[in-house]
Amino acid sequence: MSHDAATDQKPGQHRKQKKYVSDRARAEKRLGWYLAGPAFVIMLMVTLYPILQAFFDSLYAFRLTAPDEREFIWFGNYITVLSDSVWWRDFGVTVLITIITVAVELVLGFALALVMNKAIKSLRGLLRTAILVPYGIITVVSAYAWFYAFDINSGYINSWFGWLPGIDQELNWFAEFWPSLFVIMASEIWKTTPFISLLLLAGLAQVPGELTEAAEVDGATWWERMRRVIIPNMKAAIMVAVLFRALDAFRIFDNVFIMTNGAHGTEVLSLLAYRTSITRLEIGLGSAISVLLFICVLIISFIAVKGFKVDLAGSQGGK
Amino acid sequence: MRKSTGREKMWWAIITVFVLVYALFPVASIFATSFKAPSDLTSGEFLPNGWTTENYEQILVGSAQDLFLSSLWNSIGISLIATAIAVVLATLCAYAIARLDFPGKKLVLTTALAVSIFPVISIVTPLFNVWRTIGLYDTWLGLIIPYLSLTLPISIWTLTAFFKQIPWELEQAAQVDGATTWQAFRKAIVPLAAPGVFTTAIIAFFIAWNDFVYGISLTSTEAARPVPAALAFFTGASQFQAPTGAISAAAIIVTIPIVLLVLLFQRQIVSGLTQGAVKG
Amino acid sequence: MPTMPAGKPARKRITGAIFTMIASSLVLSGCGPAQADNTLTWYINPDNGGQAAIAEKCSAESGGEYRIETSLLPTDAAAQREQLARRLAAGDASLDIMSIDPPFIPELAEPGFLAPVPEDVAERTTKNVLEGALAGATWKDELVTVPFWANTQILWYRKSVAEAAGLDMSNPVTWKQVMDAAKEQDKYLGVQGAQAESMTVWVNSLIESSGGEILENPEAPADEMKLGLTSDAGRTAAEIIGTIGDEGLGGPGLATSTENDSMIQFQGDKGSFMVNYPFVWPATKAAVEAGTLEKSVLDDIGWALYPRTLDGEDTAPPLGGINLGVGAESDNVELAYKAIECIVQPENQATYFVTNGNPPSNTEAYEDPRVEEQFPMAPTIRDSLELAAPRPQTPYYNEISTGIQQTWTPPDEVEADTTPAESEDFIIAVLRGEKLL
Repeated sequence: MSHDAATDQKPGQHRKQKKYVSDRARAEKRLGWYLAGPAFVIMLMVTLYPILQAFFDSLYAFRLTAPDEREFIWFGNYITVLSDSVWWRDFGVTVLITIITVAVELVLGFALALVMNKAIKSLRGLLRTAILVPYGIITVVSAYAWFYAFDINSGYINSWFGWLPGIDQELNWFAEFWPSLFVIMASEIWKTTPFISLLLLAGLAQVPGELTEAAEVDGATWWERMRRVIIPNMKAAIMVAVLFRALDAFRIFDNVFIMTNGAHGTEVLSLLAYRTSITRLEIGLGSAISVLLFICVLIISFIAVKGFKVDLAGSQGGK
Repeated sequence: MRKSTGREKMWWAIITVFVLVYALFPVASIFATSFKAPSDLTSGEFLPNGWTTENYEQILVGSAQDLFLSSLWNSIGISLIATAIAVVLATLCAYAIARLDFPGKKLVLTTALAVSIFPVISIVTPLFNVWRTIGLYDTWLGLIIPYLSLTLPISIWTLTAFFKQIPWELEQAAQVDGATTWQAFRKAIVPLAAPGVFTTAIIAFFIAWNDFVYGISLTSTEAARPVPAALAFFTGASQFQAPTGAISAAAIIVTIPIVLLVLLFQRQIVSGLTQGAVKG
Repeated sequence: MPTMPAGKPARKRITGAIFTMIASSLVLSGCGPAQADNTLTWYINPDNGGQAAIAEKCSAESGGEYRIETSLLPTDAAAQREQLARRLAAGDASLDIMSIDPPFIPELAEPGFLAPVPEDVAERTTKNVLEGALAGATWKDELVTVPFWANTQILWYRKSVAEAAGLDMSNPVTWKQVMDAAKEQDKYLGVQGAQAESMTVWVNSLIESSGGEILENPEAPADEMKLGLTSDAGRTAAEIIGTIGDEGLGGPGLATSTENDSMIQFQGDKGSFMVNYPFVWPATKAAVEAGTLEKSVLDDIGWALYPRTLDGEDTAPPLGGINLGVGAESDNVELAYKAIECIVQPENQATYFVTNGNPPSNTEAYEDPRVEEQFPMAPTIRDSLELAAPRPQTPYYNEISTGIQQTWTPPDEVEADTTPAESEDFIIAVLRGEKLL
């Protein structure tokens, strides 16, 4: 639907009716909140409350195993975090992963969407089933699958691709930054491309068929049709898909945690937050990182919505 | 319909094979690993030299049985309950949004959107602190509640999209016949909405089933630990030996329900995910 | 306000439905079966079922006085600590008995998370216990846990390689000798170079073997800690690790190699010398029995004490193991200590060694005839345990260890001139709360 879900108006006839039956309108309002209320309250409870609590905790120097030394230090934790090269290194890695994975996924997802859109009927079910397997699979399982395939001891990639320059039996993928990052991103891309391709498929279905046909009649090549008709017409779909995936990629955790646990500079922000608050039990410092991570996500959404005019409310989102 | 030429057919065959390899290869890879004996793991080959079921025996009837089976039970139970609650609440909520006129509609939808992009890791620490104070740490409920933050938003959005396509004249007809709004909802709309609700349930289940961060942070025993978190607890014959085989076998077992759901309901899942998605 | 006719029933039904849902999920939330008062929960680190067997045996022997149930901790030592610390901080009463890795004991003892060991129990359970294991069970001169088993690394070698290199293994060998021999024979050394706890284990042993120590004042508050990494001992350690990394002596997998990876490499054609725990022996025997490894490999394996860093100075091998602690909030402290006394009996320790490969902390257990039968290297292990040096005992062990793991990896980037100093500055900044880890 092209209209904004939130401001959706009901048929005029019904509205007119409403004017006359004001009891009914009021009751409808009440019923509306009765029905939507529980979900609304739960969503706030599990996010708004914890993030406020995290902000409160972030103002303290507090280590779980030294409960007596808790101390209020204003924004001291934030200063520590933001003045530390570790935060910025992890920030850089996270942004790098986000940009590369989303870019690759967009291209790959678009290709898959085209394939699914054009596929002859007999193949459609098979293709969709296959593509949905990575979508449904547990991220941790994907991480292990890719890890074991590349690992120097249990893997077979080195012996399969030994003929490629730079790859031989002695290549230890998880001992260096770029090779480990490559496998981490491969797993991430494999698992999440189906999602992006389904969003794009929905967008593709919206491109008016007459336009493409007209372009074809005019003798436009495949590439020209793509560039001048199809892509401009599904810009909204692309923007939303990119934004959702970018925000999701920015939260990457499972793959890094399983494959390298942050070794060799592959640590990402979520892992830093996890290690600080859950592993080190530094609740104050960890909460500060959590709040900063949240602010990053807000900033990205803000830039996307204001700068690129992504109409989120008109779309369906989430992974 | 256009006719497909032989050349086109060949291209489709190639593309299909390519997509199948892309989608299924990592699964095949861990499948093959799960049938390798411990000493076969380092062979550097894709297929096992001798297929053995000892990894499956270890986690289903052997030493890792308690660990794996209890976490499997936890995963199934927690994911199903979280899905059920999310779908029920989201159905009510989406119905209200799609159908009723009330102030704050936009607020509910925007909240759902905001929650779906929320960094999970940001709320894990405070949740952990609250949970241990009120005794929800390491319980089913302690995971079900945060899982709702993952499953509710997408359920609300998917169902709202579904509900907008339902012919509401039926409801109005029912109302004219003297039924109340609630009765009209139940009698006329529920049967029509059921397929959408079902699809939403599958998608929500996938999301709950996938969780890892909450699972490792908010549990500490077999009372509530789900499978993805339990994989880190496997061990080889001694604490220093790598549990590669057991992890692979467990990974395959938790992938079976996913593959089954996908095989049976691919059409619904695709329409659920693309339903009312973006329109230019 | 006029009421809508359908309003009330609707509200009731909805609230009712939600209530039922929440109630049913509460019931299903696995609060677990009601536990009898004499049930003790023992949080165990993963093993091959040995601790569970002991729990069963002791429960039976108690004649119904108590019943021990085991609950599993994660495989990784740091993750075990994290689980325990979080539950203890939450005041969880179910932590009756805990298997704890010694370096993490001070952190749990300092805030009073552990119930004090009764004097009579302390006396009975420390008789004949190896000194190193005892040191690991103590915090601020007080016994806070009961030693259960002790682990140590010894030097495993392929007899054929040592012979070809002309090394006399009946005398103590140094790291230099071992490295030279491996290089000369074009073989790989088995060491653990991954960014993990095993790296701290290695660094600590190298520094202690050269007469230094990582932490000079373990009981000081975090911001006053003095590290000993920039000493000559630290330099020697960095030289050894850096050379092994630089010259590729550890094989291609060095930067990610764990205890298991080292063993696999050692069993292969390129195997020469390896520092590793006793699990290597049963694991190698099992591989031979399974037919996946030649028997000749097993016959070719020899063992000696952990290499020295300095000629003429005793080595200080790594010390590990598990001690048993009791949660301060446990409802059954007395009963828990009774059960612990049963668990750590020398006889049980010997059985545990034979079945699970984890060496006893009690010297008496080494007299058991089954021990030498299963582990011909038991005397070497015992000697190694006598010499072994514990890792720094401090409530901030996690910070120090993680700091070392991050700065001393990958091995090929370790430099004698810079790594110790960088590592020391980094850890001190972290301890002062000035830097993230």
